[in-house]
Amino acid sequence: MMSFTRIPRKTWSNWLGVAPFLAFCLAFEIVPVLLLLSGSFSDKQGAFSLGNYAKISAPIYVRSFWNSIQISAITAILGAILGLLIGYAIFRLPSPRVREALIALSDVTTNFAGAPLAFAFIVILGSNGVVTLAFEKYFALKLYPAFSIYSYSGLVLAYLYFQLPLMILLIIPAFAGLRREWWESAHNLGANTFQYWRRIALPILTPSLIAGIVLLFANAFGAYATAWTLGGSNITLATIQIAFTITGEVLHDPGAGDALAVVSLLIMGVCIAIYQFANSRARRWAR
Amino acid sequence: MKQRPLVLQSLLVALFVAYMILPIIATYIFSIATKWDITLMPEGYTLEWYQTAFDHPYFSITLTNSFIVSIAAVLVGLLFIVPTTYWVHTRVPSAKPLLDLLMILPFGIPAVVLALALIRVYAFPPFARSPFLLISACVIFSMPFMYRPVSNSLMAIDVHTLTESALSLGANTLQILLRVIAPNILPGILSGSLLVFATVFAEFTLANLITGASFKTFPILLVEFTRRDGRIAAALSVISFTVAWLASIAILWGSGRGRKPTEEALGAR
Repeated sequence: MMSFTRIPRKTWSNWLGVAPFLAFCLAFEIVPVLLLLSGSFSDKQGAFSLGNYAKISAPIYVRSFWNSIQISAITAILGAILGLLIGYAIFRLPSPRVREALIALSDVTTNFAGAPLAFAFIVILGSNGVVTLAFEKYFALKLYPAFSIYSYSGLVLAYLYFQLPLMILLIIPAFAGLRREWWESAHNLGANTFQYWRRIALPILTPSLIAGIVLLFANAFGAYATAWTLGGSNITLATIQIAFTITGEVLHDPGAGDALAVVSLLIMGVCIAIYQFANSRARRWAR
Repeated sequence: MKQRPLVLQSLLVALFVAYMILPIIATYIFSIATKWDITLMPEGYTLEWYQTAFDHPYFSITLTNSFIVSIAAVLVGLLFIVPTTYWVHTRVPSAKPLLDLLMILPFGIPAVVLALALIRVYAFPPFARSPFLLISACVIFSMPFMYRPVSNSLMAIDVHTLTESALSLGANTLQILLRVIAPNILPGILSGSLLVFATVFAEFTLANLITGASFKTFPILLVEFTRRDGRIAAALSVISFTVAWLASIAILWGSGRGRKPTEEALGAR
């Protein structure tokens, strides 16, 4: 009989194999972010100071955070509700091939964020865009100036383009987790469709829904390229203000940039933590 | 369960598809239209905008730069992430939670914040504003896209038995990785590489903030033209979309069935 070699499990030396990758992450991610954190609490001489945080209480910065939170919340909630409905419609399609194709479409389009997508929205919804013209011609509805693709209302539409498919991809597995037997049992016990959704399906879907909303929120909060391409400096968002402190296009204090970045990281961190928690809840029902 | 009214369901799906497809199709048409701002359909068709774009001195420079950064990010990913993921799966399972955490972190760090942090630390030559720093940032930013498909593929095969059999036959770790494991997880590696390539190719934020004018990438040129000339911007957008479509089709083609789209969606941004 052939001798069988076990994988060596001397853990401390095995950890050496992870060292190069850990060193890379430390050098280009963890240490720079930690230094950013400590820098945000120092003044120009390096002494401890809350001065940078005092600077970001200026109206422009407060407004940029408020705008970011609003845009993220609106597109997360709209994306979640519409994604839930469309996701269910896709999930219940009779043809598996069409269903697969639509999931593949969501998979592709959710990565289509950024500059080319923003420009595509200018093509259809700019002041001479084809959709703008169609609305005027067929519905006698002038979109401009009430709506503008270069403003916050346009930003919501453009963000939904990558938020919707993301929600659909997140929620379809949750629908797949709803077992047929639960509906049958509820039905046999005399529940109608509304009662089934209200008492059984929605409570089970809730963790997935919450996970989806916070992920969409974080997704929108960290976005920059789409907003910058569409609105440029006309749009005041937290990410755009942070970028200004790098490019120096407007007179901005680098210290304020550090503090803005740390507050953004904090908001993102809360989102990721809620997401992880809700996701672990959602997995309890997974087969 | 009762079948919902098919009309409502189909309408919802049709509206969704229209929303997803219309901006892309319109951009393709716009890029070959002579004039399209008063009429519903273009007044004529031309390839002039592509010709102008190709002739622009920065066209081939930025396209080359974007290819360099994307391919470098894929290579670094293959070199660092694939062996590390394999090593953690077989040798140090206790490091798996740490690795998972490291792969979640990039989602929690907005690209502008990562750029700011890197610029602050690497403010000295030869790192400052260098393509090297940009590539490192792109690797960090895109590593979950490489990790997830590779990790999923490793979980789908019996990596322990394969490793132990190869060890019994006298293979060393490099041989095992290259000749036993890699061929078995090739779909995952390919899908991860294409995802990294596509995301880094389309990446604007890191490039604009880290290297900017000193090393312009394709998306930077595109954004410049959205402010200057919409026709050229359309032609450049079409090229960008086409790269993304091709990569996506190759991923779908290569990995086929048995893939969980949600797992990758967690990485999408």
